[in-house]
Amino acid sequence: MRKKTVMAIPEGNVITLQNVYKTYEQGVSALNGVSLDIKQGEFVFIVGETGSGKSTLIKLLLRELTATEGDVNVLGYDLGTIRRGRIPKFRRNLGIVFQDFRLLKDRNVYENVAFAQRIVLEPAANIRRNVSEVLAMVGLADKYKMKTSQLSGGEQQRVALARALVNRPLILLADEPTGNLDPEKSWEIMQLLEKVNEGGTTVIVVTHNQEIVDRMNKRVITMKMGSILSDVDMGGYEVED
Amino acid sequence: MRISTFFYALGQGFRNLLRNRWFALASIATITTCLFMFGVFYSILLNFRHIVATIEEGVSITVFFEPGTSEEIMLQRKVEIEERPEVSEVVYISAEEAWDSFKGDYLGEYAEGFTENPLEDSANLEIYLADVAHQAELVDFVEEMEEVREVNYSAMTADTLTGANRLIAYISVGLIVLLFAVSLFLISNTISVGIAVRREEITIMKYVGATDFFVRAPFVIEGLLIGLVGSAIPLGLTYVLYNKVLEYIAAHFPSLSGLVTFLPDKTVFATLVPICLIMGVGIGFLGSMFSVRKHLRV
Repeated sequence: MRKKTVMAIPEGNVITLQNVYKTYEQGVSALNGVSLDIKQGEFVFIVGETGSGKSTLIKLLLRELTATEGDVNVLGYDLGTIRRGRIPKFRRNLGIVFQDFRLLKDRNVYENVAFAQRIVLEPAANIRRNVSEVLAMVGLADKYKMKTSQLSGGEQQRVALARALVNRPLILLADEPTGNLDPEKSWEIMQLLEKVNEGGTTVIVVTHNQEIVDRMNKRVITMKMGSILSDVDMGGYEVED
Repeated sequence: MRISTFFYALGQGFRNLLRNRWFALASIATITTCLFMFGVFYSILLNFRHIVATIEEGVSITVFFEPGTSEEIMLQRKVEIEERPEVSEVVYISAEEAWDSFKGDYLGEYAEGFTENPLEDSANLEIYLADVAHQAELVDFVEEMEEVREVNYSAMTADTLTGANRLIAYISVGLIVLLFAVSLFLISNTISVGIAVRREEITIMKYVGATDFFVRAPFVIEGLLIGLVGSAIPLGLTYVLYNKVLEYIAAHFPSLSGLVTFLPDKTVFATLVPICLIMGVGIGFLGSMFSVRKHLRV
């Protein structure tokens, strides 16, 4: 596997937000003075009603957006001042899973996962081994030849998860990963995420799924109108949708 | 760039072409048409220039001197004229040579009756030009010489040839500009469609940490391939057509071959091949770069 080069992480935190504001061009205020720290190896839920600023927060962490005010530091990268040319290198430390899977429908399971390895220029010889390993981990070793359109929703999300994990990210961001899945499949995905977390990867899950949040018993950050309403270790879902 | 990245980009470029084949074919067809037109015009123009140049070589100015001008002065004037850049050659024809030539051309055996040279004052300089466009300047220069009695030249020939040359240049430039504009627009459009079709894939690539180069390279390669194919086809077509036309002229207009000579295909294609390839590939590259820069701020 590739060696990761990471800058000094302040006080063991992989993510630090200090008094972060985000106002969109239309004047819509999405985040209002958010501060939080996430330590290496943590499993964190971010919950909140629609429009509470969860998605904006994820986009800031991915450096898809920049903060209007305040500091966003991820894995030692100051995302307010990072040069454009360094963004790809920074993103290679992150894995991301979306609600709608975002798989390449014209390619099979193997190709969807190998795609992520090719992008980070992994030597061809390693790709086959790494993809096989990660597909076995998500329980799809026997379906590697199938087109993603032939898979169930739960299986598609596993492929997306395998793609996010194959480059061994330090942080896994999951944006509503169970939004399109039934409770049983949702629970399976959460168990996989927990397994990933046990391997040392920091996992951040944005969700509306109350049952899962309550059952997992992890740190829960609740957001409302662009601010952090509560931040509880081993908490539950407290949002009234 | 790693070799594997190069092959990846090449593979993806081909893949884009296939996936986007109708747009790609439309672009290739347009470039082919434009470059074929260019190739045909270029062959005609090159041959026309060749014919004009052959005629130019025969255009001469004859300078006669005042009676009594010594040969020494005439030769001195010859050197001065030779030094001018528009002059390719100056030939001194003495009175004796002029008379010999006249006798040979017109009198034959009747020349026996002449005991003296009737063309005693006909020693002259025959000037051949490298560029007929400068004929008027040269005539002015020569007429200023005090020993010069008369300068014979044909202003019309020079003007016609100069005009024809200029027309050739204007047509060539106009054609190239038009060709560039149309082809650039088409390739750029094809690449934009390709980018739109692959928007989802590009977004994922971006999230996974693909560099700008990695995302853009396949699209640029797609443009290059369109340009390359779009220039190779018309080159082949022009080559076949050129030889067919030469064969046809030789077979049906044998009288023409005595008047004018056509350039061999090797001479025409020695310049046409690199020009077409550079234009095709250049248009492909520029067209794709426009689209990529516009739509792929990754």
